[in-house]
Amino acid sequence: MHTFFLALLLIAAGGILAPISCRVFPLMKIMAVTALVGGGLLGGWDAAMRLILHSVPETFTLPWLQFCRFSLRIDSLSAFFLVVIFVVPAVAALYSLQYLHDSRRRAAVAANYFFFSLLIISMALVVCADTLVTFALAWEVMSLSSFFLVIYDSAEQETRAAGYLYFVFTQAGALFLFAGLGFLYSATGNFSFSGLADISASGKLIGFLLILIGCGSKAGIIPLHTWLPHAHPAAPSHVSAVMSGVMIKVGIYGILRFYLLLQPASPVFGQIIIVLGIVSGILGVVYALGKHNLKRLLAYHSVENIGIILLGLGVGMLGAASGNATMAAFGFAGGLLHVLNHAVFKSLLFLGAGALIQQTGTATIDRLGGLMKSMPFTGRAFLVGSISITGLPPFNGFISEFLIYYGAFHGLSLHHASFVLTVLAIISLAFIGGLAAACFTKVVGVVFLGEPRSDAAAQAGEAGVSMLLAQGILASLCLIIGIWPEHFVLAAFQAVQAIPLAATIEPASFLPAVTALSRTGLLFIVLVFCTGLCRRLLSMGKEIRHAPTWGCGFSRPSARMQYTGTSYGDTLVNFFRPFVRVRSHYSGITAIFPAHATYRTHVHDIFELGLQILLIRPVLFLTTRLRWIQHGNIQLYIGYIVLAILVMLLFL
Amino acid sequence: MNSSFTPISLIPLLTTVALAPLLMAAILKVKACFSGRQGPPWLIKYSTLFKLLRKGSVYSTSSTFLFKMGPVISFVCAFMVLLFFPFAGLPPVLSFHGDVIMLFYLLGLGRFFTVLAALDTASPFEGMGAAREVFFSALAEVTIFTILVLFFRLTNSLSFAEYFSHNHGITLWSSSAAPVLLVVIALFMILLTENSRVPVDDPATHLELTMIHEVMILDHSGPDLALIEMGAFCKMLFYAAFITSLLYPFSSGFPASNVVIFFLLLTLIYGGVGLAESITGRFRMAMVPNFILTSFALVFFAVILTMELVQ
Repeated sequence: MHTFFLALLLIAAGGILAPISCRVFPLMKIMAVTALVGGGLLGGWDAAMRLILHSVPETFTLPWLQFCRFSLRIDSLSAFFLVVIFVVPAVAALYSLQYLHDSRRRAAVAANYFFFSLLIISMALVVCADTLVTFALAWEVMSLSSFFLVIYDSAEQETRAAGYLYFVFTQAGALFLFAGLGFLYSATGNFSFSGLADISASGKLIGFLLILIGCGSKAGIIPLHTWLPHAHPAAPSHVSAVMSGVMIKVGIYGILRFYLLLQPASPVFGQIIIVLGIVSGILGVVYALGKHNLKRLLAYHSVENIGIILLGLGVGMLGAASGNATMAAFGFAGGLLHVLNHAVFKSLLFLGAGALIQQTGTATIDRLGGLMKSMPFTGRAFLVGSISITGLPPFNGFISEFLIYYGAFHGLSLHHASFVLTVLAIISLAFIGGLAAACFTKVVGVVFLGEPRSDAAAQAGEAGVSMLLAQGILASLCLIIGIWPEHFVLAAFQAVQAIPLAATIEPASFLPAVTALSRTGLLFIVLVFCTGLCRRLLSMGKEIRHAPTWGCGFSRPSARMQYTGTSYGDTLVNFFRPFVRVRSHYSGITAIFPAHATYRTHVHDIFELGLQILLIRPVLFLTTRLRWIQHGNIQLYIGYIVLAILVMLLFL
Repeated sequence: MNSSFTPISLIPLLTTVALAPLLMAAILKVKACFSGRQGPPWLIKYSTLFKLLRKGSVYSTSSTFLFKMGPVISFVCAFMVLLFFPFAGLPPVLSFHGDVIMLFYLLGLGRFFTVLAALDTASPFEGMGAAREVFFSALAEVTIFTILVLFFRLTNSLSFAEYFSHNHGITLWSSSAAPVLLVVIALFMILLTENSRVPVDDPATHLELTMIHEVMILDHSGPDLALIEMGAFCKMLFYAAFITSLLYPFSSGFPASNVVIFFLLLTLIYGGVGLAESITGRFRMAMVPNFILTSFALVFFAVILTMELVQ
């Protein structure tokens, strides 16, 4: 436990030193980043050691106030999440060294480091919390600190709007979460986690559903994902990387932790999670296909990947409910490994997006193009991230998807609803893979390949060294996990030891398949290398010419004639018509000699529209009617509070 | 259930791959026969390959390293799939429990790079072809994984070796003939889709606007184009051999007769492709998703059939 606290202390020191030393901008950044990276690596090393050495769970209790204890417990599941929570922000902090370069905004940068360290600490405390109150407190600190990180550019109206939306979502989610925790408290009568397995079956379902809504709004499960595509484009990129790569996984942790504590026997839990996973996975990637803003597109991909993680967990839950050990172990382990993998490649992609937005000044993909030549390192790292997120071998995304497939296939002996949902889980996982390939060929193709579509894109240069280093670390992690997955898979299986059924799976039963994956990946690389060599030998001594692209007879092509991201995704998006609303506006050609014409298209998320119509409008209507309560008279406000307390004391 | 390595199987594998261009010529011959022409010589595909390998290359000034990587990776991916496939009932070169998942993802990786190489040229036509390719293949993926679901229901296995070389392999001549028949039809539709044949795509068309696969490789030349062609031969061979293995139980016969029947059936399937190209027209682009989803519906129905058989 000491190393854990030392790591937290170092991270806290980084956060506190930043505002103190903010007058000297370079010194502040170096101190803050050193402390954050040092603390992150120390904490990550400590957590990884716990997984590797199969440490027994450690607990730490601090008697606090009169009625509740502040209590922490690190078991293998917490340790697995701690690795992600410590390591990814450390890389993001390294990136921020050159990303936050504006010395005129030193106060904002200092505040950014302060809340950044607070976010890491609170996330670490959430996954270690051992009582309901500790969990709720750490959760709330996490939500608030991330809110302040989102509004870094608070001078922009759009950022403030996104921040407000995030704040409302996070507090509404907290409302449900606290209701769930309160419900569990009322069922057991104390704040500890230990008695939760003994409450009634219907109590378990109600408590789980409330917590699912609370944690799901943080994780970005459809239909609670609406804040993600707004908050991520608004936040600075290293913050998006941490929020999307790490923070939304804390929501997944909450769902998984309470599932384990409640130990439900019914398959309904797994079925709900699978349905949510299918919806989030498929629609997340469909909405991503329709988006033009690179960071918004990546935000929707987080929704998609949360869907994949939920599919894994759902398969695991169905396996646990039906006594199928293979299905349970592979489902949970696959979902968990995807948590790690997504943290790596999604933060890589956000860091790459940040670098190119900094260089070109725009996030609109249809204004970019040809960046592979001007930003060769960022381009290659982004390519690695794209292949990984699509789940293609030999990169890391494939390994976790393979485990989920493996678990799901072994669940095909189930019956009725569970069988149908397992089949649907497999089919949708395959479909998500195909759609993600469509989306990321679009991103890489439109942003990095071809010719620049605007002057801003043509004048871009490579990003700073610390930013490249951060991307390089994450990109090599993608390849390392993809080619030598054994230790990471072992760690994921170690993390699911808390599930009684999954613990019966011996390493001997899953390691051969994983080793085979690794060998096949290596064979692939060797073959690619050999074929590349043959190709080079064949081209030797021959005439190699360079010429413009063949325009199918058209001799004056321009960069604006290239296929855009919008047209690339158009047919696919339209295929999902009822679930997406495509609004397009075309000015039309009016005169014989057409002048300036415009065409605009926007792909709407029906859940966002639905939320507006079904929830926001009625609430606004109601609150405007109740406006007279808000009169600004402080005495009367105190009167309200006294009245409320009196009513509660008298009637409850 | 375990992973295996059979180096001796490289011999039948390489022989079959070497014969793949000849089989492709069978398609041309059938088409020529239907239109009353003599058709190209049987060795046409070999001479095309050698011609391309001898040539130099032209590279677009817009392109990057991805343009050169695309053909290499698409060929390696298609070839690697064959390493895991049991030809004529012989054990495959490599095999492990779960390999089918990896193989279909490898094909996806090959497609990913082909598409990127197309987008690398900054050509509007190639972008158009790429957009169609990713859309249709995403749909085809659904059918393929439903087939894998069905096969797992039938044999509890997740590798080609287990599907076909057991005594209870999946064939038309077993107790589960009805679902397998549906799979054969669906798989043939997927073969046409994935290998860009009529009625989904027309490899012989002359208008770039209507192409899918051909337009994506417009700018490739010389050895790069040869690699793409060889990758296409391997991919076609894989799907055709997949269907062949469903049609006849190779594991129970004599090796010699197995080989003869294997090549006979393989030629029949290639001929079938030629037949389909001769007697059907090309679909409108908007019809293609329906075609692919029909294949999905067939396989999904087959899965429902197995539910009845088990219960």
